[in-house]
Amino acid sequence: MNKETLIAAIRDIVKPYTKEEEALNNLNENTDFVTDLQINSANLVDIILDVEEKFNIVIDNDSMERMMSVKAAIEIIEAKLAGQ
Amino acid sequence: MIGNDIIDLDLAARESHWRRPGYLDKIFTAGEQSMIANAENSTLMVWQLWSRKEAVYKIINRLSHIRTYAPLKYQCSKENFVIYEGRLYPFKSYQINDCIHTIAVERSELFDALEVYTGQREDWNISKDEYGIPFLEGKPVSVSHHGRYAAMIVYNDNNPGNSLIL
Repeated sequence: MNKETLIAAIRDIVKPYTKEEEALNNLNENTDFVTDLQINSANLVDIILDVEEKFNIVIDNDSMERMMSVKAAIEIIEAKLAGQ
Repeated sequence: MIGNDIIDLDLAARESHWRRPGYLDKIFTAGEQSMIANAENSTLMVWQLWSRKEAVYKIINRLSHIRTYAPLKYQCSKENFVIYEGRLYPFKSYQINDCIHTIAVERSELFDALEVYTGQREDWNISKDEYGIPFLEGKPVSVSHHGRYAAMIVYNDNNPGNSLIL
């Protein structure tokens, strides 16, 4: 799966949890879920569960700990998919 | 150091569906989940526990300058403290209507050295440093905003020379 596909998938996943249209439209590797998209910390769980469902992976606690940006999410998804 | 967290229960009910399968396992320990299951009002317990964890996270984030999402490392017991890496962080929590507000401190003496403000986030002159840590006119502040509610806590004048600030 290439990076553009991953970024598009992440954009679809985070969409329901943000009101920051501009940051969502400009979503890229450097986008931060909390500081850029203003996603509530209680909704980060939903994003993690949505990513697990979408990619059929399990995000362990250590990975979840750093999953606060698109970049980290991509790294985690790629590592889990490679490990399968 | 001090930290606070505010939750608008009405917004939480609309935006967060804690009964979603897998949700509680990601953020609450087995002990916390049993507190939720046994609570008279499970939804209220979910947000009470969450606000305790968030308030203590604000302290840890301020000290470490590292942002993490590790709610399972913040363990709530029945007593009035949260355990993080073996250390106890006291907290006080109150509820008014749909608002839960939790204030956590590094040491209980600090409860007497802080001032709590509620109101509108826009009315406060908050700046952030390079780590995203908030300051109010140069003084350390913890700010929380959710839905209709906002609160901030700062050290008060009982704390001459900011001697209690680590």
